Amino acid sequence: MSSASVAAENTTIAVRGRDSLWSKAFYKFRHDRMGMVAFALVMAYGVMALGTVFGWWANDWSEIRGGRFDPISADFWFGSNVNGQDIFARTVFSTRTAFEVGLVVAILSTLIGAVLGAVAGYYSGSWIDELVLWLKGVLDSIPFYLFVAAVAFAMQGSAYGMHVAMVATFWTTTGRLVRGEVIKLKQFEFVEAARAIGLPELKIVFRHIIPNTFHILLVQATIVFVAAIKSEVILSFLGLGVKNGVSWGRMLAEATYEVGAGHFNNFIWASLFMFGLVMAFNMFSDALQDALDPRKV
Amino acid sequence: MTAPVGKKPVLTVKELVIEFQTERGVVRAVDGVSFELYAGQTLGIVGESGCGKTVTCLALLGLVPTPPGRIVSGSIELNGRNIVGLGDREMRNIRGRDISMIFQEPMTALNPVFTVGNQLCEVIRRHTDATRRQAHAQAVEMLAVVGIPAPAKRMGDYPHQLSGGMRQRVMIAMALSCNPSVLVADEPTTALDVTTQAQVIEQMVLLQEQFDMAVILITHDLGVVAETCEDVMVMYCGQVIEQAPASGLFTRPSHPYTAGLLASIPRIRRERLQELPVIRGMVPDLLSLPMGCRFSTRCEYADQRCQAQIPSLRTATGTDAAVACFKPLGEA
Amino acid sequence: MSELLKVENLSKYFPVRGGLLRRARKQLKAVDDVSFSIARGRTLGLVGESGCGKSTLGRAIIRLLEPTAGTVALEGTRITELTRRELFERRRDMQIIFQDPYASLSPRRTVGQTLLEPLETHRMMTPARRRDWLLELLEIVGLREHILTRYPHEFSGGQRQRVGIARALTLKPKFIVADEAVSALDVSVQSQVLNLLRKLQREFGISFLFISHDLAVVQHISDEVGVMYLGKIVEMTSASRLFARPLHPYTEALMSAVPVPDPARKSSRIVLQGDVPSPIDPPGGCPFHTRCPRVMEVCRVTPPPTVNAGSTEAPHFVNCHLFPVPNTEEDV
Repeated sequence: MSSASVAAENTTIAVRGRDSLWSKAFYKFRHDRMGMVAFALVMAYGVMALGTVFGWWANDWSEIRGGRFDPISADFWFGSNVNGQDIFARTVFSTRTAFEVGLVVAILSTLIGAVLGAVAGYYSGSWIDELVLWLKGVLDSIPFYLFVAAVAFAMQGSAYGMHVAMVATFWTTTGRLVRGEVIKLKQFEFVEAARAIGLPELKIVFRHIIPNTFHILLVQATIVFVAAIKSEVILSFLGLGVKNGVSWGRMLAEATYEVGAGHFNNFIWASLFMFGLVMAFNMFSDALQDALDPRKV
Repeated sequence: MTAPVGKKPVLTVKELVIEFQTERGVVRAVDGVSFELYAGQTLGIVGESGCGKTVTCLALLGLVPTPPGRIVSGSIELNGRNIVGLGDREMRNIRGRDISMIFQEPMTALNPVFTVGNQLCEVIRRHTDATRRQAHAQAVEMLAVVGIPAPAKRMGDYPHQLSGGMRQRVMIAMALSCNPSVLVADEPTTALDVTTQAQVIEQMVLLQEQFDMAVILITHDLGVVAETCEDVMVMYCGQVIEQAPASGLFTRPSHPYTAGLLASIPRIRRERLQELPVIRGMVPDLLSLPMGCRFSTRCEYADQRCQAQIPSLRTATGTDAAVACFKPLGEA
Repeated sequence: MSELLKVENLSKYFPVRGGLLRRARKQLKAVDDVSFSIARGRTLGLVGESGCGKSTLGRAIIRLLEPTAGTVALEGTRITELTRRELFERRRDMQIIFQDPYASLSPRRTVGQTLLEPLETHRMMTPARRRDWLLELLEIVGLREHILTRYPHEFSGGQRQRVGIARALTLKPKFIVADEAVSALDVSVQSQVLNLLRKLQREFGISFLFISHDLAVVQHISDEVGVMYLGKIVEMTSASRLFARPLHPYTEALMSAVPVPDPARKSSRIVLQGDVPSPIDPPGGCPFHTRCPRVMEVCRVTPPPTVNAGSTEAPHFVNCHLFPVPNTEEDV
């Protein structure tokens, strides 16, 4: 916002609102019981992940404390693995890994998708649009795991190959949705009104158009979050993902050798925790979609 | 209302009350609406947005979205049977066969991925035991009846291939295909151009006589009402405030609101007016209605009684009009 | 009476893409060689059915759309030839009011933000002065101060339209395009807004291009009226002349098609056959010949010239073969 408008607000002209579309959406979300349960679950996972960041728990995930395949006990809530490491600590710490990947990928791919999608949509039909569509087409046509393997190989040694690959492929869906919405929005008379005032085009895009796609962005970010977590698990399982940490995917990879021998702890707890988070987040995402749908507000 | 002697009404609505749950509270969208409708009669329901005219008609078809909507009390008797509280399946059978509806925007009411013929045949076959061939023949006939040129050819067209006027005719054909006793038309010509509107209105009047249907026409256009309806019901804030034969209503409105509405329409006149007469103020919020008569906040004749009590519908002296007003115009 | 806006031979064509390489194969002539002028403080009404190009014309004049050919001059400045920078400066002189009060305000911005934006963009006034001006504006359009912090969805259609009008006024324009500005409003609100527009014109001397499909509304608000059909102005004269004695058969049909709120007057209506032809493939000769009740042989072949069927002082331009070019006068 320009300094002029800030000044204007100082001269007691209050222009900020109180009863926005957000508060209406919030009201609707609060009355969605399933959504609230899902949200509480997601928050519980979040606290679990945050605890490891602050070092409250599960920081001994890599320590060898017990024996080979110790059963469930007061010391080892979920038993121990082949190396005698605590499966509970590893499961909890994996939540942090999942959140890290999910958040980074969701935020970055949503930002990229929003900007590229909005610009492509606003200038639809022009070379900018063609370029974005071409880029999207190219990225979409490469098989995902092949792409990740290639990026991981190219960025050898970096812990972020997986992140880069996911962001590069996940923004396209967001971009496509935003582009479609923007093409619709730019026909709206309020956009024409902004042009009639003489507002510069980039300001129109960022001030009038992108804010009206926030509902898509938010929902899309939650979807990407879940997709990123799932991909992280699969990639780690395949050995393409997390290298120096622990992840549900790595635990499942370990479990492939163990299940045949009758040791199920790694398998059960990693699957259960992943399932719980993905499920809760999907439900949260659905509820969010309902609450934010502008047609139902 | 002109009740034909010895005839039973096709549709009787009694004391209908419909409420909607909103985040700001419960809104009474329809508040004690009653009317009767006879075969061959055209009833116009007029009023401004939010007056409850559309919700009333959705209720007639069992289409009030529930939740948030709810029929709180009252009855709707269609061909002698109360349809309030009927299940979905029963309502589906009644809809289209006994009562059907045409909407303002035909493009959204027609399915874009099926041909016109397909959709017409489907309606016919759902409600009758016509064979595929019979349904097809009947569909072609219906398209001809509503004035679509080359109907057999049009059967294979998709909705987007037709003009707005043609689409509305297809909607009418669909609504009439099972010969319903009541047709509800919600702003059927509002989305059309004047010249197309003239064609569609002319067609509707013809069809109504031909099929001896009862028609309810919802519109905000008093001109359209004057040209098509024998009786008019004026609604304001969920209540019927005046109900009268069209001939009387347009020349001698009884309710100040009706009079104000009539005066404020711009019409082609010999002399251009400097200023249009207006009804001052705004339609009140349904959540904070005035205590007494709902029009009292905007009425130039309102006195203390109007602000304290709600007038009920009664016959105005010396007219055929039923009016909900303590001081109707023309009554000293 | 000084001339404010002069439009000469304005055309706007849209390429219709088709085929494998998306080459422009045909052109949709939305506006085709239109000329007129508007005097200071006067209103030109523009009527026509949907698709006749009236909205495109309005947008091409203020360069929301780039015209294909022709010139527009505002106070002698050729708008059509301005650079981007120069155009930005002139934007404050010409504004637009839109049809749909639900689409014309950004849903995520408060009314205050919406109204301040034009002033901030053009760096007009000091912040304190802006405040006074906005409050003054709200007063003029009949809104109260507290709405500044509210979002559009909290308002009725009429209130939103008032906000849209206030936005158009913030920059103190000399010329406003009102594109179907009252069409989406309820009757009682419509008359209020129409009176408001008239008041603005009296107080600020603004010139209007008032685009509408509603003839009665156009008559009420306009000094001059142009009738458009398929991208061309087929008849143009003063409002009083046009409504007293329409010359073009299309204008006649349009007028007779307007439903009149008076059931006693069963009008002798000219119902036009068929629909408006597609502007991509307009009929040759006179574009109206496919629907004209008074079509002649020559109409199918030769486009009619525009002649002045009135006098030099009170011109009445009509574009029809029924009114041949007088030998003594030049083609206008």
